[in-house]
Amino acid sequence: MKSMITIIKEQISSFYLILRLSAFEMKSANVNNYLGRFWEILNPAIQLAIYWFVFGIGIRGGQKIPLENGVQAPFFIWMATGMVVWFFVNPMITSTSRSIYSRIQLIAKMSFPMSAIPSYVIMAGFYSHLMLVALITIILQFTQFKISAYFIQLPYFMLATLIFLLALALITSTLATIIRDVQQLIQSITRMLLYLTPLLWHRDKLEFHHVDLTFLLKLNPLYYIVEGYRASLLGTSWYIWEYPSMTLYFWGITLVFFIIGSVLHLKFRNRFVDYL
Amino acid sequence: MTESVIVKNVYKKYKMHTKPTEKLLDLILPGGYGEDFYALQDISFTAKQGDVVGLVGVNGSGKSTLSNIIAGVIPPTTGTVETVGQTSIIAISSGLNNQLTGRENIELKCLMLGFKKKEIQAMEPEIIEFADIGKFIDQPVKKYSSGMKSRLGFAISVTVNPDILIVDEALSVGDQVFAQKSKNKMFEFKEKGKTIFFVSHSMGQIKEFCETAIWLEYGEIKQYGPVPEVIPQYEKFLKKYKSMSNEEQKKFREKVMQKQRGLATI
Repeated sequence: MKSMITIIKEQISSFYLILRLSAFEMKSANVNNYLGRFWEILNPAIQLAIYWFVFGIGIRGGQKIPLENGVQAPFFIWMATGMVVWFFVNPMITSTSRSIYSRIQLIAKMSFPMSAIPSYVIMAGFYSHLMLVALITIILQFTQFKISAYFIQLPYFMLATLIFLLALALITSTLATIIRDVQQLIQSITRMLLYLTPLLWHRDKLEFHHVDLTFLLKLNPLYYIVEGYRASLLGTSWYIWEYPSMTLYFWGITLVFFIIGSVLHLKFRNRFVDYL
Repeated sequence: MTESVIVKNVYKKYKMHTKPTEKLLDLILPGGYGEDFYALQDISFTAKQGDVVGLVGVNGSGKSTLSNIIAGVIPPTTGTVETVGQTSIIAISSGLNNQLTGRENIELKCLMLGFKKKEIQAMEPEIIEFADIGKFIDQPVKKYSSGMKSRLGFAISVTVNPDILIVDEALSVGDQVFAQKSKNKMFEFKEKGKTIFFVSHSMGQIKEFCETAIWLEYGEIKQYGPVPEVIPQYEKFLKKYKSMSNEEQKKFREKVMQKQRGLATI
């Protein structure tokens, strides 16, 4: 608990730096491409197209998806509103785990805490996420899913995503610095998560030999975030209040991650340079 | 004059591993696993403001390790290092971001050293003038020659006005003109009463700059004192070492290795 407070204090005190450094991070990420930042839209668009083709047309045969409030949503819209989170979370999980050991030589001597490194990497990704969310919101205005009061939940879910990513990054960046293999493990896990989060396929009930396995999917904390984004963008429910157990579970897991991450990070950070 | 760098009983221990499994064991076992290697053993000294200290020693004697520890880049295994004021280290690989332009690197580097935007804007022209790399300042650093990189790195490090400056063989890359410019800057620092640590293999440069010298031999301080005392002794040792037969050199190295493993006390 004490370590967690230390980390939070560090985050707040270096907030200005996190913002400034994330701008540089973004610049250096796109400097080699001719199309520059345009790829941040083009890449997701290509992926959405192929997933829509394979899952929407190929597997589902163009069938619509029933939402919680009874409305039938086209598969593409259902998928895009969930995938918008994935396009942010997926690269962030892998790049934050690399964040410390790939930068430590560049910034070994600095006057800000090392816990700010994952945060500024996350912030750099967050800008393009905002852009993508805005784009999806605009597209949705041309469908039956126009902006509604439910939309005000979105900032909450964005904040939840950021905090969750930071908590996870504290663990993964520390472990990956000490043991490089963790990097590979994280890549495999994120690849799995694509299919274990309600992004590409949908079942109200997952039954196997008459045993209800739906709860297994809900153990994934990303379930809460993805469904929350969807509820806000498509205007289906007040997700935070209507599913209090999910809310509690998500914050519980995030807190546990945060505590473990802070303890690990503080314990090893003085020796990170030795592990290179 | 007040003391600005106090180094007390500093040890730096590394573990030598030949296989990944040994590395893993080292992480898991509470006592660690693997052969010890002492890069530095029981280093203690103090430097005052205005001191220019030369660090000399043959390859592998721990000069760079010591300068990194003084700069705070790597932590000592045991012992303490106290520094008064900001430290800045200039090494050949100066830690620039290859993707960004020189100008962006200046801002990035200064940000990380904790400067405000206004201060950076004020320093930028000064850095660019000192580095003197012309239009390349707006080119990505990956297109720089090694000389340009070290010039930019040097320019940033001296312009941020550190209280303690550590120069790790950085002067050996630039050409004569730039070396002269850097030397002048360092003389200026010397007059301002800053502490400078100077790592070099060039005895000429050490004699020109430094008043005191630390002679490191395989992780230990062999001698610490005024340059006229230490450097002749060191030169004498170099001569002797060079004139040794291969056999003798090998024996000497083995003896030293034993010492660095912490096995023998000579």
